[in-house]
Amino acid sequence: MSVAWVGSQPVPLTDAVRNAAKLLASSRCPVFTLDADVHGTRSAIALAERLGGAYDHAAGDVLAKEVALFTDHGGMFTMPGEARRRSSLIVIVGEIPVAHHELLQAWAGSQPDLGDKHKRTWFHIDGTETIEADKLARKLKAIPLGADGLSLPAVLGVLRAGLQGQRIAASLTNIDRFRKALTTAQFPVFVFSGTSGETAGLVMLQGLVADLNKTGRASSVFLPADDDAWGTALTSLWMTGFPPRTGFSNSLPSYDPGRWDIQRMIRDKEADLHVWMSTRGGETPPRGGKIPLISLSKTNSPTSGAKITISVGKAGIDHDGVSYSSRTGTFRAVQAAQPSELPSVSSIVGQLAQALPGRKALPC
Amino acid sequence: MKALTFTLLAEPEERLDLSALTPAGLAGLADVQIEKLRVGTTRNPALVGDVFKVTGKDPQSIIFEGGSARFDKIGTGLSGGAIRVTGDVGLEAGRKMSGGALLIDGSAGDHAGSCMVDGRLEIKGNAGDYLGGPLAGEITGMEGGLLIVRGKAGNYAGERLRRGIIAIVKGCGDYAGYRMIAGSIVVAGRVGAMPGYLMKRGSLFLDRRPENLAPTFVDCGETDIAFSGVFDQFLIREKIMDKPLLGARPGKFGGDIAVSGKGEILFRRGR
Repeated sequence: MSVAWVGSQPVPLTDAVRNAAKLLASSRCPVFTLDADVHGTRSAIALAERLGGAYDHAAGDVLAKEVALFTDHGGMFTMPGEARRRSSLIVIVGEIPVAHHELLQAWAGSQPDLGDKHKRTWFHIDGTETIEADKLARKLKAIPLGADGLSLPAVLGVLRAGLQGQRIAASLTNIDRFRKALTTAQFPVFVFSGTSGETAGLVMLQGLVADLNKTGRASSVFLPADDDAWGTALTSLWMTGFPPRTGFSNSLPSYDPGRWDIQRMIRDKEADLHVWMSTRGGETPPRGGKIPLISLSKTNSPTSGAKITISVGKAGIDHDGVSYSSRTGTFRAVQAAQPSELPSVSSIVGQLAQALPGRKALPC
Repeated sequence: MKALTFTLLAEPEERLDLSALTPAGLAGLADVQIEKLRVGTTRNPALVGDVFKVTGKDPQSIIFEGGSARFDKIGTGLSGGAIRVTGDVGLEAGRKMSGGALLIDGSAGDHAGSCMVDGRLEIKGNAGDYLGGPLAGEITGMEGGLLIVRGKAGNYAGERLRRGIIAIVKGCGDYAGYRMIAGSIVVAGRVGAMPGYLMKRGSLFLDRRPENLAPTFVDCGETDIAFSGVFDQFLIREKIMDKPLLGARPGKFGGDIAVSGKGEILFRRGR
């Protein structure tokens, strides 16, 4: 089975690497879309640094929104395990990605056993309803907390003002039940995600959590819209001090979610080479832009429109690796479930670096 | 002495960082030195001489003949003198200005006037998002000066404004005055959703009743204060408006009561 193509022609891997390295060496402004495990991400960032490029994650839009809460405001956070064992009042905020529903349902099947041992109660703060959010709320038997016609940021504002004792015209359904639950709960926890709504609403939520901490304890659990994307953000922070949407203009890393938005750079013809990485399988590079594309993706056929395609494996399936788990709130080692001959992103990026003029190995 | 003029030779192939081309940055430099300043931001960065024809001598008065949405950081840290751009500019125009005047004949990208402290920034076209707002990781936005947009502004205009005046003549997007700390924002024309969301103090002045206000603003009825007349006169004197914005006895909302609730939205009644 072929693992490398130049255009639509199958070629030996070494030929594909040599051709890709030529494109990289001649590029004035290469951009990298990341979607790999920790080792692949580290290698790709090191290559972007060497080439003066910029990088973002494939789920860059929602990741940028999640990162903005941290860079622009901050918040009070706890680990999922703490919430499961200590909280008798859990509030779901907006829409939580389907990938986390199983985790939340597992919590629903348990009771807190440390500190607060009251029976667990669930609420769901919502703005614009979606089918998935409704379905989750029903499964958790969550009590709705909202108001017709109000967006999530507006509902959160009304809730925060109401809990401060402010008098406002708008009222929320089940607000009295929520007040009562707050009086007995020793550690209320709000669960949210980047898909929960705009950053402005998340900032209001964190203000509400801070208000509650003036008289008791409360916190929030952040469940990322995409675990791999959040793992990339943490890896990028570790390597450069900044999350994705970072570029290496003047050889130093600089973070700017507007300027280094890779899709915008391609659309506005600022980038002249796109290195697209995707280990999930079945993904296609975003449309738009007509710059040369190098595809490092889990595929058994050449990527449409790519100058070079190299098939790579996924950590946890084709090879061992390290990835982020929101269930534990940290990185974990993952073993290959179905080991294959497909090379890892990290090994291919390493070969690309060695094929560049100077033949210098990457530091990671 | 003739103004130091940078005439654009062709649309730049890369984004340019023009933060060095200010009166203070160029003072004492010969033409040859100026032409060798690096302004490109890619692996093979362009120099001033690659992109511009440089003429004139007076660095206290700088003119960019021609503009581009790739002109980033123009007038950064401007502390005195004047800069004029005869076209569009990109990101962060007039960031951290502390004096002088920056006039942009075209439109500006995101973060125009970001964290400016003093001086006058006027944009004759439209402005992008986060007008006067802070960059990622910064605590406060604009802290002084006068920022005028003759066209429309995008979302989050005046985010975390702490002092100074922002005037937008043809409307703005959502979340105007988001997390305002103090200062004044004037908007003539349509205002998007949730103006003043999370504002602690400060004033938003509108020429009409806001359509989509957060429920955490309280209707305070109409006000009978001398301030609105005085402020209208100021706007006309500064040639920001050609007729009174608020008029006599404007309407008022107080908020955002989810935070301290000491901010206000004054608006012209009857529109």
